[in-house]
Amino acid sequence: MSLKDILSPFTAWKHVVKDPVTIKDPFTREAAERYRGFHKNDIETCIGCGTCEDICQNAAIDMVPVDGIETRDGDSGLRPMVDYGRCCWCALCVDVCTTNSLSLSNHYNWIDEDPDQFRYIPGVDKKEWDTNEKGWKKPEGNYELYDINRVKMEEQAPESRDDSFIEIVKGYSKEQALLEADRCVACGICTATCPAHMGIPEYIKAIRNDDLEEGLRILYDTNPLPEICGRICTHKCETVCSIGHKGDPISIRWLKRYIADQHPSDQYKEILGTRDIELNGKTVAIVGSGPSGLSAAYYLALLGYKCTIYEKLPEAGGMMRYGIPEYRLPYDQIDKDVNYILSLGVEIKTNTNIGTDITLEELQEQYDAVFAGTGLHMGRSTRVPGTDHQEVYQAVDLLRDVVLGKEIPVKENIVVIGGGNVAMDITRTLARLQKVKFGKVSIIATSLESEDIMPADREEVVEAREENATIIPGWGPTKIETEGEHLKGLHVVKCTSVFDEEGRFNPKFDEEQIDYFKGEMVVESIGQGMDISYFKGDIKENLKLDNRGRIIVNENFQSSIDWLFVGGDIIQGPDVIHGIANGHKAAIGIDKFLGEG
Amino acid sequence: MKSLLNNIKSRFSIKDVTEQRSNLVFIDVARESAVPLITYLRDYEGMTHLVLLTAADWIEENEFQLTYLLNNPEQKFDIGVRVRISREKATMETAHHLWEQVATYQRELKEMFGIDFPGSPGVDKPFILEGWDDLPPYRRDFDTKKYSEDTYFPRPGRESNDPAEYMKKKMYPNEK
Repeated sequence: MSLKDILSPFTAWKHVVKDPVTIKDPFTREAAERYRGFHKNDIETCIGCGTCEDICQNAAIDMVPVDGIETRDGDSGLRPMVDYGRCCWCALCVDVCTTNSLSLSNHYNWIDEDPDQFRYIPGVDKKEWDTNEKGWKKPEGNYELYDINRVKMEEQAPESRDDSFIEIVKGYSKEQALLEADRCVACGICTATCPAHMGIPEYIKAIRNDDLEEGLRILYDTNPLPEICGRICTHKCETVCSIGHKGDPISIRWLKRYIADQHPSDQYKEILGTRDIELNGKTVAIVGSGPSGLSAAYYLALLGYKCTIYEKLPEAGGMMRYGIPEYRLPYDQIDKDVNYILSLGVEIKTNTNIGTDITLEELQEQYDAVFAGTGLHMGRSTRVPGTDHQEVYQAVDLLRDVVLGKEIPVKENIVVIGGGNVAMDITRTLARLQKVKFGKVSIIATSLESEDIMPADREEVVEAREENATIIPGWGPTKIETEGEHLKGLHVVKCTSVFDEEGRFNPKFDEEQIDYFKGEMVVESIGQGMDISYFKGDIKENLKLDNRGRIIVNENFQSSIDWLFVGGDIIQGPDVIHGIANGHKAAIGIDKFLGEG
Repeated sequence: MKSLLNNIKSRFSIKDVTEQRSNLVFIDVARESAVPLITYLRDYEGMTHLVLLTAADWIEENEFQLTYLLNNPEQKFDIGVRVRISREKATMETAHHLWEQVATYQRELKEMFGIDFPGSPGVDKPFILEGWDDLPPYRRDFDTKKYSEDTYFPRPGRESNDPAEYMKKKMYPNEK
């Protein structure tokens, strides 16, 4: 042993007076800026879509109800609760979060003797790191686990469509549909908002699996008009889509159309298993062949009822055929959906008017129950001076006449009053007819509502302008200028607000600001009313209405007259998907009423 | 870097070169060229330091990708040598004779991906998983969630709700 070996251990003594390299108090040491520590959640932004729970590979997250957070359209009312006995701080939950509400603080140390403390609801159970700005957030920019941009739909260009009624939207190819379906996180938030509560994540999953027969079965579970809805549904589902919070919502409507478009109608019975339906011997009369009547007929037919539809007009479809222009919904697609329903043994008597050709009492005698879904076909008038002039028309009447093949008295300059989808439909229809007749478009549509609150779908306004129609929102009509049999134009005044503080319709005007739109023809499109003059005598006496004149029905759409069920636009909506949902519920209600359900 | 690339292009069959940054290049080579290429880079091009050896599972193409990341400490740049091997028969020539620590990386890859490196010292010894009897967990067909659900019991009192089902219960309980 050398002297060095004996002395060297003593050299360690020099460290006694040095500062230690370890940290005396590690509990106050801050972690790195982007360290992945305990969760934070902005519960006002969170919608409880549960995508965090779904992606967690450790099953560390539960979706739980929270006091004070209501379940409503677009928000499940649930919030994520994290179990730190399982969390591995990978932050996949943060990276997939559809609203960017979830993040991780850089707080990492926490001591408690009670293990249950390590399960908590971030953002609800207050923690000291809730205000900690550091930690892990979803990176800004193009970092997403799904594509936030929807697959673009190919459409006819304005110049190739503005003089014809050719369908504008071309529909997705298989490749496009698969890409679009792949964006869906299958949270199911949309299902509650769809009036028919369609199995939306399920049919999108069927597209991903390329099992389109299963897709069609899921569609028909809740909606017997998928070609129609796949084109013109008001797609309220898309307004609550979780992906829509930070990107484009999933094209739910176009994906539905994709499924329906893939199957020729002669395969439907095979796919849907409806080749042999046993009749139960009971009969139901259906008044009106719009969405609610067709839906009721379809679901009743599946249950074995013999249904007969009575339709006033020459063909089935109601507003879908006689209100919606062909460039949005081609007639052959209406026929495809309708003909399949008729193929199940549903009979239709067209050109038959209830009240004149056959009365409601007669239907009651001949059938076990009656469903009435006669819709809103009477245009409402603004009743400003001049509306009784012969060159003032109702939008719904003109749209119907176009389908019936009647000559439309198209003028060189036209003014449309209204800002809803019907107003856009008639504006774009007349613009096409002007283009054909005069080689140019000169049509103004004006609405009380300002641009941001126009009730029409945004794309309708955009496309109308692409087709050279002029949309001037925010004006109220005061008078139609006429000169004998000629109409000269429309006087308007600036509308400053449409609804009062309670949200009631109560327009206010600035009388100082006026304008004048020249035109030889005015079309009113400010809403439609119902024509229920076919309810007569005892039926009229016994039919209960509420204080605003609407027919009272129960949850099965049964009126105060037990054999009479009522649905569609005259009860709820107005739109196709509410009608479909009503008809379905009424079918279940009729089945209960007739003792079969 | 340019002359280096020319040198190796004339000696090895290179599939592709990706210049990621001025100081980082990825070179894709066929399996039989991989170990000879990194030997050459170490011995003749100053890439004396092995930064890491890692793998990725390209399950759709039924292949694993190995990446040997080498560093030139003098000139301060990196080269990643990438090689695809079959997923079905996942074996690769060992490179532990070039750097001793490669054996540790290869032992890790054996355990986490199931890629074998015959002849690599201790390659079959457990690395960190201790008694693992399932699919190698870094393979993409390993279902992590199912494994955690099957292996670990949930803490008592845990309960979750499906958002769509919960919304139905709250918003339209009487509908079908």
